[in-house]
Amino acid sequence: MSEITELEEAAREAVASTRSTTRIIEISKLNKWFGQFHVLKDIDLTVYQGERIVVCGPSGSGKSTLIRCINHLEEHQEGDVIVDGTPLNNNVKNIDAIRSEVGMVFQQFNLFPHLTVLENCTLAPIYVKKMPKAEAEALAMSLLERVRIPEQAKKYPLQLSGGQQQRVAIARALCMKPKIMLFDEPTSALDPEMIKEVLDAMVELAKEGMTMLVVTHEMGFARRVADRVIFMDQGEIVEQAPPEVFFGAPKFDRTKLFLSQILAH
Amino acid sequence: MSDYRALGGVPFMPKPARPAPANTTGVVGWMRQNLFSSPSNALLTLVGAYIAYVTIMAILNWAVFNAVFEAESRRECLDLVGRAGACWPGVVAWSRQIMYGLYPADQIWRINMGFLTLILWVVPLWLPRVQSKVAIGLTAVLVYPFLASYWFLGGQAGFVWSVLIAASIACFVWVWATALLESFTGATFGRFVLTLLGVQHRSEQDQRRVLRAVAAAMLLVAYVAVSFWTLPFVPTTRWGGFFLTLVISGIGIAFSLPSGILLALGRRCDMPVIRIACVLFIELFRSVPLITILFMFNTMLPLFLPVGVEVNQLLRAIVAVCLFAAAYMAEVIRGGLQAIPRGQYEAASAMGLGFWQTTVLIIMPQALKIMIPTIVGNFIGLFKDTTLVSIIGLFDVLNMARAVGEDTRWLGLFIEPFFAVTVLYFICCFAMSQYSINLERKLDTGPGGRR
Ligand SMILES: Nc1ncnc2c1ncn2[C@@H]1O[C@H](COP(=O)(O)OP(=O)(O)OP(=O)(O)O)[C@@H](O)[C@H]1O
Ligand SMILES: [Mg+2]
Repeated sequence: MSEITELEEAAREAVASTRSTTRIIEISKLNKWFGQFHVLKDIDLTVYQGERIVVCGPSGSGKSTLIRCINHLEEHQEGDVIVDGTPLNNNVKNIDAIRSEVGMVFQQFNLFPHLTVLENCTLAPIYVKKMPKAEAEALAMSLLERVRIPEQAKKYPLQLSGGQQQRVAIARALCMKPKIMLFDEPTSALDPEMIKEVLDAMVELAKEGMTMLVVTHEMGFARRVADRVIFMDQGEIVEQAPPEVFFGAPKFDRTKLFLSQILAH
Repeated sequence: MSDYRALGGVPFMPKPARPAPANTTGVVGWMRQNLFSSPSNALLTLVGAYIAYVTIMAILNWAVFNAVFEAESRRECLDLVGRAGACWPGVVAWSRQIMYGLYPADQIWRINMGFLTLILWVVPLWLPRVQSKVAIGLTAVLVYPFLASYWFLGGQAGFVWSVLIAASIACFVWVWATALLESFTGATFGRFVLTLLGVQHRSEQDQRRVLRAVAAAMLLVAYVAVSFWTLPFVPTTRWGGFFLTLVISGIGIAFSLPSGILLALGRRCDMPVIRIACVLFIELFRSVPLITILFMFNTMLPLFLPVGVEVNQLLRAIVAVCLFAAAYMAEVIRGGLQAIPRGQYEAASAMGLGFWQTTVLIIMPQALKIMIPTIVGNFIGLFKDTTLVSIIGLFDVLNMARAVGEDTRWLGLFIEPFFAVTVLYFICCFAMSQYSINLERKLDTGPGGRR
């Protein structure tokens, strides 16, 4: 166990040292309402290329909404979101450009049940990127191998376990060769036995230098992988810090309370 | 995955599986378990078996054992067995009209050819190695009708109609060429043609140009063939019987699915004009009985059309049936759409798929699959509802069956022809329903599904 941690630590430092200063996501003064309900309040957030960010916070604090604003699954009313130089506005072209660079993994997997695992993975490359089928399949197989389920390629999603499904979802998102990966509670719908296999896949991805925004309650993962932990409450970013600081010496009492609750069980 | 061993502890040895106890398998086991599991269950089984026996024997006695198979008139039948047995000669004498209406006897082969063409058109859908099934299915619905229209109607085809017929024939050739090529060589038709012409290594643009030229050439050849092909004209007033029923319900079924999909999508559209138009159409046609719509189209439509413009009565009935079926299908499809979780749309959007891509590739296949039982139920309903056209004077199979009893020779012979029609309907509807169950099983990708 300790030797794995050490390896990860080394990898993390290697990536951290090479981390560019390119700002890949820039969010400023982001405000969003659901009807009269103010979900996101003046969010400012800059993400650098290769950075791994874990977002945590109590239920309903707006974590999902925040990361869904990045690929325009939710529309914001005020403020700017710039992803890899492309501003997110109502220009459909910009939205499409951003979506093809941002992969997303959902809590409920959201695989397409009528398509095989392989077809799930090749769909977007073929129809969005216009990649030839053979090339898309080769790419998909290589990514399925990376998440360690190449043998399931011909099965249908509902014939797999939850952990396998979530790994397919990760491979599917990676098939678009995204620059950024968004994860919305990827392990919350899984049985404890399967959480590890999904987290392993994510750790590996992190080692390869992928920019990641991960909403999760897996504090172990945050500690091991994150460059920065963000704590949200009631639509605001309360606190953000590197994991050592965040878990060791949180500044705000709200953060302390949250940590005490989440680490208690 | 076996790293738990490194943790130490007592090793876990799973027990080997044993075969199931003998009396729960096999026919006897099944019967013991399901039919005679308790005294009351056994009693129910026996009573049920007795009722089934009595009913079936009564029907067989009437329809087979006591029936008359050779007679010149109903009188003769009655003299022979009275009412204890069926009088089939009347049905046999009228069988041509029951199947084909008043279609000229020497032209009936055309109807058979028309349906044979359809069967041949869809056979490739069941060949396992054929890949282009979607394209073949689409041409069967969209292109086959032009060829069928000429088989059934005949006469002098104008330029546009000729081109459509030619396209239909070219398509049919394509379907079979594709089916054979894909079954035996695995290559698509396009690839085969390109290789044959030796241009498979040219640029994609060139290849596309060549394929277009080949398609045009096929069309031209077919057009020339069509111009040499003349069949005598048979007006729709002579169409009838089971043939007419198949034409009306076939067109209704083929039309209702695509237009129902569009209406359902329109009803969920963000643009108010489209949405309101779709809602109005659906609600209007759903709130009125089919028979009323048929009457409206039959009697009132001519009043609105300019003088001299005559719309064929069969066409009016078909349009009425199509619109009615489309409105119902729209609601079925909408039900299917509602069952698709939001996550499917979100995953598709997040991958960058557009609205139509999401609809065609992700949403519709799932919505249609969920709704197969209801969709086929609707088809069956429509198939049976077409009997209503007999009320506006079209001689569909039911009306033809009634005509038997009005023939002076077979006066009063109603039960037998209706019985025959019942059997005919049952066979068709039961086949459809079985096919739908089959399809559902084949398309099941759930946890216990295929593979
Ligand atoms: N489509 C919506 N319409 C109205 N309110 C919504 C909608 N989606 C989310 N909300 C509300 O916005 C708030 C923030 O939701 P969000 O899903 O971002 O929270 P979260 O931090 O991800 O919580 P959880 O940990 O439960 O996933 C919640 O109070 C939720 O009820
Ligand atoms: Mg959430």
